[in-house]
Amino acid sequence: MDPVTLAVVRGALEQIADEMDLHLIRAALSPIISETNDCAHGLYDPVTGETIAQGGYGLPMFLANMQFTVQRLIPIAEQAGGFRPGDIWITNDPYLSGTHLNDVILVAPHFVDGKLFALFANTGHWMDMGGSVPGGWAPTAREIHQEGMIIPPLRLYEEGRRNDAVVAMITANVRLPQQLLGDLAAMTNVFALGRRGLDDLVARYGVATLKDCIDEMMRRSEAEMRSYIAEIPDGTYAITDYFDNDGVVDEPLAVTLVITVEGSDLVFDFTGTSGAATGPMNISDATTRSLCFVALKHIFPEVPVNGGAFRPTRFVIPRRCILAAEYPSAVGGTTDVTQRIVDVVFGALAQAIPDQTPAAPFGTTGVATVSGRHPDTGKYFVAVYPYPGGYGASRDSDGLINGTPPGSMAKFMSVEMSEHRYPVRFGHYAIREGSGGAGRHRGGCGSDYAIETLTDTVISILGDRVDHAPFGVQGGGPAATNSVVLTTGGRSWVPPMRSKAEKIPFAAGDSFHLGSPGGGGFGDPLERDLAAVETDLNAGLIDKAAAEAVYGVAIATTRSIDGRPVFTLDPERSRARRSGMRPDRRRAG
Amino acid sequence: MGGIVGIDVGGTFTDLFYSADGLGVDAVLKVPSTPDDPSRGLIDALKAANVAPASLDVILHGTTIATNAVIERRGARCALITTAGFRDILELGRRDRQRMYGLTGLQQPLIPRAMRWEVEERLDHRGAVLTPLDQAALARLAEALAQEEIDAVIVSFLHAYANPAHEQRARDILKAANPNWEVVISSDVVREYYEFERTSTATVQAYLQPLVSRYARNLTGKLQELGFRRQTLVMQSNGGLIPLGQLHERAANIVRSGPAAGVMAAAKLAAEAGFTHVITGDMGGTSYDVAVVVNGAPRIAETTELDFRIPLRLPMIDVHTIGAGGGSIAYVDRGGILQVGPRSAGAVPGPVCFGRGGTEPTVTDANAVLGRINADQPIGMKHLARLDIEEARAAMQALGEPLGLGIEQTAEAILTIVNHVMARRTRLLSVEQGHDPRAFALVAFGGAGPLHGAAIMREVGIRTMLLPPHPGVLCALGCAVADLRYDLSQTVEKPLSDIAPGVVRDVLTGQRRDGEARLSASRTPLDSVVVGHAAEMSYLGQIHTLRAVVDPSWDHARMIEAFEEVYRREYGNTLGDIPVVIVSLKTSVQGVRAKPEIRPSPLQPRPAPSKASREVYFGGWMTTPIYDRTELAPGMTFDGPAIIEQADTTSVVEPGMHGRVDAYGNILIEVA
Repeated sequence: MDPVTLAVVRGALEQIADEMDLHLIRAALSPIISETNDCAHGLYDPVTGETIAQGGYGLPMFLANMQFTVQRLIPIAEQAGGFRPGDIWITNDPYLSGTHLNDVILVAPHFVDGKLFALFANTGHWMDMGGSVPGGWAPTAREIHQEGMIIPPLRLYEEGRRNDAVVAMITANVRLPQQLLGDLAAMTNVFALGRRGLDDLVARYGVATLKDCIDEMMRRSEAEMRSYIAEIPDGTYAITDYFDNDGVVDEPLAVTLVITVEGSDLVFDFTGTSGAATGPMNISDATTRSLCFVALKHIFPEVPVNGGAFRPTRFVIPRRCILAAEYPSAVGGTTDVTQRIVDVVFGALAQAIPDQTPAAPFGTTGVATVSGRHPDTGKYFVAVYPYPGGYGASRDSDGLINGTPPGSMAKFMSVEMSEHRYPVRFGHYAIREGSGGAGRHRGGCGSDYAIETLTDTVISILGDRVDHAPFGVQGGGPAATNSVVLTTGGRSWVPPMRSKAEKIPFAAGDSFHLGSPGGGGFGDPLERDLAAVETDLNAGLIDKAAAEAVYGVAIATTRSIDGRPVFTLDPERSRARRSGMRPDRRRAG
Repeated sequence: MGGIVGIDVGGTFTDLFYSADGLGVDAVLKVPSTPDDPSRGLIDALKAANVAPASLDVILHGTTIATNAVIERRGARCALITTAGFRDILELGRRDRQRMYGLTGLQQPLIPRAMRWEVEERLDHRGAVLTPLDQAALARLAEALAQEEIDAVIVSFLHAYANPAHEQRARDILKAANPNWEVVISSDVVREYYEFERTSTATVQAYLQPLVSRYARNLTGKLQELGFRRQTLVMQSNGGLIPLGQLHERAANIVRSGPAAGVMAAAKLAAEAGFTHVITGDMGGTSYDVAVVVNGAPRIAETTELDFRIPLRLPMIDVHTIGAGGGSIAYVDRGGILQVGPRSAGAVPGPVCFGRGGTEPTVTDANAVLGRINADQPIGMKHLARLDIEEARAAMQALGEPLGLGIEQTAEAILTIVNHVMARRTRLLSVEQGHDPRAFALVAFGGAGPLHGAAIMREVGIRTMLLPPHPGVLCALGCAVADLRYDLSQTVEKPLSDIAPGVVRDVLTGQRRDGEARLSASRTPLDSVVVGHAAEMSYLGQIHTLRAVVDPSWDHARMIEAFEEVYRREYGNTLGDIPVVIVSLKTSVQGVRAKPEIRPSPLQPRPAPSKASREVYFGGWMTTPIYDRTELAPGMTFDGPAIIEQADTTSVVEPGMHGRVDAYGNILIEVA
């Protein structure tokens, strides 16, 4: 294989997928697509369904589950007479495609000289799919039907002709039909762009060369992935972490992962994970697998995104567990469940390759929504505030503050913009002091914010990580856990499910106060650089008690600026104090 | 008309363009920059060009000092004072991370948390006072901070854009505590909502202000010593100029002024040559900067990230940068695929052929091995007389062997791949903005741009490439052709139905008055003043806004019509009866400087004379004519393959392409 052609073809295929991403992000009406890139586009092998190329602008969440969806759709299409030119298949069946009902997937075959050459697929987040709660998100849903309508895999376009009966059926069952039609048109138009790009490439290189390049690309990506896995010491690495509850039944849910590394093969075994949740804390196995790759890619960012990279891995996910949802389990908690997959993969691999793996990030997407009628306009509004939080520390650095979840890139709304749009007022938006896990490198602190509503509203919150903290690694400490406090009628209270609450009525002047978790620490805090401890102390990220008891420092002098203390450490006494503490800690550990 | 000088102070080189009569080109040169005091490099350039400052009408100037100070964190020691509960806004950002993949790494806020302070006060989104400013507490804080080592204080209160009274009062209190402080209030810098972006912009301004003021003082002093008493104008990132004397209060506006100047010059030269839709590609040692010009106007970005979580919310020419330059290093990845960049050999150790200890093969080495650059006349190199081709070949051999490639094949593969990377970014940028890149002309410049422009053009499907007369110093020329410009903006964020008649007119005419007042304060001779008004609008509930050109005299119905027209153009439809919101009103006031008009020369069609020929590799060694740029005159034609040499760059014309010199001295390359 000519190495230059190979490099150029790989670039050109990625370019096609990138252009499709950007085109949809620009053309979509759904703000979730246009503002947070909640979409993905790719090109797939028509026989194996393997990813040939996937765009670099869509959400990490979709990294691998596009391939798994296409792989499941291929036999269904074959049973229905196979792919024909001009067909476009549609589905949002979460048990098949992963994530939740709002993520709608389209698949379009591409023919060259009458022969099926590849499949294009895309996914986009549609704002509303019907169901009991606007936006589709119901924290106490017990079955999928409360979350919206299911579109089973079917031909939306048959040989170029749109099935208008299907479209009418869908638009009759959603709250924003006009917007949905716009997003549907945008998603189907994107295929034309992809086809043009692929046809140009075929014209330039011919089918045979392109196919050879694609096969070779897959082999090279597999080799590249294997070279990373081979660097992980052989062995078995186990971890169990827990969700607080499922929003309906107040019992912890276990996520158990055993990673086995043998040479350049990697097995993710989730045996031992809790069975299907009564509430919505379930995800499909396609999403579980996808998030394992997201975690790997956070550790090895250079790994290419195509089917070859997925080949050296194998999965064991017990049927009907919370990570392999089946009908009729509700799946609206996907935003939180997915984050935990990343956490446990980090936790297992931190045992094997501690120099490359960060400690646990904040681990909960904790969506808070405020809805009601705006007093100025009388119009219905929904304001969505997803948690920011701290990242885990690593060998490289302390953890970041105010991060977005590892499977997402979505941002937090501006305070001023929020107050313009909705009848709310922020009391504060700040770094949550003392919330980062202690360590040689400190975990990032969580975020702390309070929102008051200025009129009658309804509040819902779906979070986790109140009972089980984001963990540290290599002797690093855990982060502070999640905190949700509601204040209604002058009384402050914690919801019975701690960080999950559905449709709580708020009157003007009521407020909620959220403290998101930080990230876990990395390494022994007694080894933290003294200057860094002093900076943290003076920044208020840790307090004096923690500095002395956890980080083992001694303070030489204290002065203050306008009442805020400024500490100077005593390096000599700090070192003495630390060496005195080490034996204690060893006994305790 | 006296002489004019355009000077671009970059990180490595200071470029100069001099015209004795404001028309012709009398000197073009590069001297090393002097980062410890950049004004010295500028004076060095004037001396090297043998320009008597007293003979000049005007000095026009772009600089990277502001950009570098932010990136290297060499700015002022600052304190930030915010509304109680919000001191962390500057560090929190808006919930994101540095890269899509990889959770490690940290940010470094320009002001550490220990120097961020709060004071009781609160406004609502209409600017109404919810909590009055606690002046006594602020005075106590100011007294305490006056004891600390601080150069500048930023005040950023929530919703101050809607009512700046608290911020203004706070400034008075702070100035009373220490008159030597630079005090920046957010509503002075950005009159728009988005607290993080506004606070960050005000912080960048304060962070740079002392440094930029010092620079302006040094430069003014040195120029005066040399007898220069006229106007010095500085390029801003919006592509317009401001007088050196106004620089201290607009320090943040000159971030990335060099790239902006390059795009302005490219747009201007292309427009003269008859191209209004242009993609500009500026390739230097470490990066490739690409921008899109539509209808003669460079696209403007409202917000630019200077570094992770350091947004600057000021109108800036939208220049996108990728790590592809002459110094980009080629390597084989774990999958056995050849890759180029973004890692760069930089100036030191530099490419292998520079003989400064570089061992990894770079793009420049590939160009040298293939005979595309003249080994006997290295550009901008004082320490060596000849490029070390043998070492470069050895590096190519080592890289290519495991891939089964020979030396020339390896070098050509490096060029193919780096060209592909640049072509890809070029295409994506235009697609992102909804354009078909094939309808554009490419202006290639920078030290390495003309070496690679032909390949980029071929890959993207562009039909015409324009090589300006002095591609290597185009940013310096850009300063010389630019006009003065002030951008003003104010958030409204109300449905049109809630805006009283006359309000739009009052805001826009007020902005016009402000801009014109600043123009007259600049004391610059102007030919004319051009005022443009625009409104950022959206449908109620939308996050993204669209900009419509508006007129102060319009009523609401006409405003809606203008918005719908833009919406239809962008998305092909409108959303019917959903109310239209004015998010902000904007005015740009441009002072068009008196400039002599450059007249086209008559074309005399004839073959261009080549000065020599050498073997150059284009898929095989080909005897290729070498042209001396100084000998090319309007009307001359030539065919590729061809190499054009000049003091500031080398241009490559591929086989199958055709070149001609236009009436302005540009070379136009077309695919035959």
